[in-house]
Amino acid sequence: MAYSPVLSPKPNPPATKPLPANPKTKALAILNASNSPATTAASTPGDGGLDLAEQMNDEVRRQFITGNRLGEGTYAIVYSGHYLSDPKSLVAIKKIKVNADYKDGIAMDAIREIKYLSELSHPNIIRLHAVFSTKDQNISLVLEHLPLGDLEQLWKTHTVSYGIADIKAWASMLAQAVWFCHENFILHRDIKGNNLLIAADGTVKLADFGLARSFADPGRPMTYNVITRFYRPPELLYGARYYGGGVDVWSMGVVIAELAIREFFLPSETDVGQLSAIYEVFGHPTEESWPGISKLEFYIPPDASSTATTNGVKVGKKGQPLGYWKARFPLLGEDGIDLVRGMLTLDPRKRLSARQVLEHRYWTNAPRPTKKEDLPKQGGGEKKMGEDLKRRGGEVDSGRADKVARKLDFSALKK
Amino acid sequence: MSKAATRVGATPTKRLAEDGGASRLSSSLHSLSLRSPSKSTSTPAFADSSSDICPVCKSSRYLNPNMKFLVNPECYHKMCESCVDRIFSHGPAPCPIAGCKRTLRKAKFRNQTFEDLRVEREVDIRRRVAKILNKTEEDFDTLLNYNNYLETVETTTFNLIYKIDVEATERRLQAFAEVQRAEALSTLPASQASKIRSVSSTQQITDSKQESSTDRVVLKKSAGQRKVPSSSMSTPDPFSGAENGDVDSGFNFHGLKKRVAPEPEKPYDPYGGWSVEPQYFILQDDYDVEWLKHTKDEVKNAAGGYDMKDFYTRALCDAFSGFGVFIDEEMTARDNQASGDAVIGTQTAAAVAAGGRDVHMDDLF
Repeated sequence: MAYSPVLSPKPNPPATKPLPANPKTKALAILNASNSPATTAASTPGDGGLDLAEQMNDEVRRQFITGNRLGEGTYAIVYSGHYLSDPKSLVAIKKIKVNADYKDGIAMDAIREIKYLSELSHPNIIRLHAVFSTKDQNISLVLEHLPLGDLEQLWKTHTVSYGIADIKAWASMLAQAVWFCHENFILHRDIKGNNLLIAADGTVKLADFGLARSFADPGRPMTYNVITRFYRPPELLYGARYYGGGVDVWSMGVVIAELAIREFFLPSETDVGQLSAIYEVFGHPTEESWPGISKLEFYIPPDASSTATTNGVKVGKKGQPLGYWKARFPLLGEDGIDLVRGMLTLDPRKRLSARQVLEHRYWTNAPRPTKKEDLPKQGGGEKKMGEDLKRRGGEVDSGRADKVARKLDFSALKK
Repeated sequence: MSKAATRVGATPTKRLAEDGGASRLSSSLHSLSLRSPSKSTSTPAFADSSSDICPVCKSSRYLNPNMKFLVNPECYHKMCESCVDRIFSHGPAPCPIAGCKRTLRKAKFRNQTFEDLRVEREVDIRRRVAKILNKTEEDFDTLLNYNNYLETVETTTFNLIYKIDVEATERRLQAFAEVQRAEALSTLPASQASKIRSVSSTQQITDSKQESSTDRVVLKKSAGQRKVPSSSMSTPDPFSGAENGDVDSGFNFHGLKKRVAPEPEKPYDPYGGWSVEPQYFILQDDYDVEWLKHTKDEVKNAAGGYDMKDFYTRALCDAFSGFGVFIDEEMTARDNQASGDAVIGTQTAAAVAAGGRDVHMDDLF
C-alpha cells in the first residue's frame, strides 16, 4: 500500500504467498461457505499451494473493494467499500484490530458480532455480507452501508424537526428488531441511539452486536456489566446475573423516551448515580413492588439511603405520577406513554416482553407511523457510520476517554 | 461613459412628462384593445411609454412612482391599482374602458406576467385547457392514440385562442371535466370522495349564483367549477354528438386506458409482515423436570428477570426445528402421503408433554 486508498481504491490484492494455515481462516471459510459461489471450484487440489479454507477466504476477499477510511477506534477501523462486480452496491468494511487481550484468537466482540449477525436476517438489523481475513490475520466484517447517521444524532440535531408519527415509525422499527432478536433467543445487550443506524432509505437498523449473547441456560450466570449506563436496567445495576429479554426492553424504552424529549432521559455520571436517576422518575423499588429484589447483590433498601420519612419510618422515593409523563412526553401521546411506562417497569417480570411491546395498541392506533420514505432525514454521512461502527460495545462518546479501551468483566463466565 | 448612459436614460422620462399622457390617450386605448394588436407589436417603444399612464384615471408614473398596473383575465384591459380599488371595491362593475362592457370583479385582478397581453391570454387559456385535458402518454395504449389526443388538445386550445367556435368548445371542455371528476370520485375511498363531493357541490352553488349575476361570461377561470345543466347531460350535444355514445363526455379519445382504483391502505402491521410462531411444538406453561427444579425455585433468578419460558421455547425449538431438516417430512413427501407436518409436530409435542423425560435435551449437543 504505497499510495493512499483514498485516491485510488484498489481491490484487495490476492495473496501472493501462501497464508499460514490457521484454524481461524478455516472457521471463516466454513462461515462464508454460503456466500462463496466458487466453493466447489476451489476444491480442486493443487492450486498454488493454498488449502481449501484459504482459497475460500480469498474468494470472498476478492469480491470486495476497499475504499476510504471512515473512522478508527481502539477496536476497529471502518472503511467504505463496494462489491467488485457492482460499484453501486456499497458496503462498510469493519476491520477488527488485533487485540492485545486475545493474542491467540479472535476478539470476543468480533466472535459475537459474526456469530449473531450471520444468524439474523431482518430488515431492521444490520446485514453482515461476508467475513474474511487478510494477510496480517486481521478479520474484516463486511457490513451493510448505512449512511444517514443514527437515532441519537437525529434527536441531537436541532435543524431536524419531527413529530408523533415519525417517532412511532422509528420506535416501530426498533421494536421489530428487538423482537426478532429475542425470537431467535439473542440478547443484544447494548441498545442505544448510537447503535441504531439509519439506512439511505430511512430504515432504522440495529447494529453493533459486540455484546450480544444468546439466552442463558438455567443456572448459568451472565455478566451484569453490560449495556451503556444510561440505558442499563435496574436489575443489572443491582448486579443480577440471571436475566432475560427484559434488559433490552428497558433500553428500548429509554431510547424511545429520548426520541420524544430530544435529550438524554436518564443521564448520570456513575452507576450509583444511574440508580438515583431511575429512582427520581420511577421511585425506589421495595420487596413489595419487586419481590425478591433484596436477594440481588447490590440492592440498597430505601431506608438506608433515603431521607424522606413518613410517620417516623424512612421510605423511599415515590415514582412520578402520570401527569409528569403527560407533561414531559407530549410527543408520545396517551398510548405511547402507556407503552413506554410498560417498557420501563422496574420489576423485569412485570415489564413488557418484546412481543407484548409489538402487540400494544400504540402501533395500530392513530396516527399511523410515517412511511419510511417520508421520514425526516439528515445527512449524518459516512463519517458518522464509521464513528458508530468502530465503537466497541458499551462505550460512550464521552470525548475525553474515547481512546481508552473499556475492560469488560468476564470473570462471571469463568466461574 | 456612465454620464452618457444616464443622459440617455433620462430623456424618455422627460418627454413623457411633457406630454402629460393626455395626448396619447386614444392611441394607448387602441394599443390595449386586443382587436388591433399589430400596432403595439410594431412600435414597442410606444406601448412602453403609454403603459406608464393609467387609461382610466390618466395618472402617470411621473406623478405616482409606486403605481401598479393590474389586468383582469376577463377582458385583459389594464388599469392602475387605485382605479381597481375605486371602481370594484363595492362589488362587480362593468369595465371602465370605452367599448368594453364585461363585468369584472376585484378578486380576479392580478399582475401581468407577460408584456404582450395576447401572450398573457394565450398562456391562461393553455393552462386552463391543460388542466382539464391532462392525460399523459401512459394513459394511452398506443402512441398513435396519444398523438391523436395531443392533436385534439391543440385544436381545442387553438379554437379558444382564436375564438373559433368558442361556445361549443367550452361546452365540450366542461362536459369532459365533469366526466373526469365523476370518474376520480368513483375510484377514491368512500370517506375521501364524500368530502370532495360536498366541497365541490358548495363551490358549484356559489359559482352558479355568480353566473346569474353576470350577463355574459366567455372565459371562466375554471371550467370544472361551472355547473352544467342536467338537461345538457342527458340530451346529446349537437356539437360533439357525432363522436359520442350515450353519455356526453365532451371528448371521446380512443385507446384511453381504464383508470384503476388505488389499493386501500392496509392497517399497520407492527410485526412488519414477519411472524415467528412455533410450528413443530406446543409450548406448555410449565415442565416438571427434576434437574430444572432448583433453578426454577431460586428467587434470585426470578428477581433478575430470568424467564424459564424463554428457556423452554428455546430448548423445544432447538430440539424440533433444529437445522430445518425434517427427515420425517421428507420421507412422507417421498411416500406421497398427505399427512401434514403439523400433525407430526403436534404428536411429538404431545409425547413430550406427556413424558417430559422423553426429551434428553442435554444429549442434543
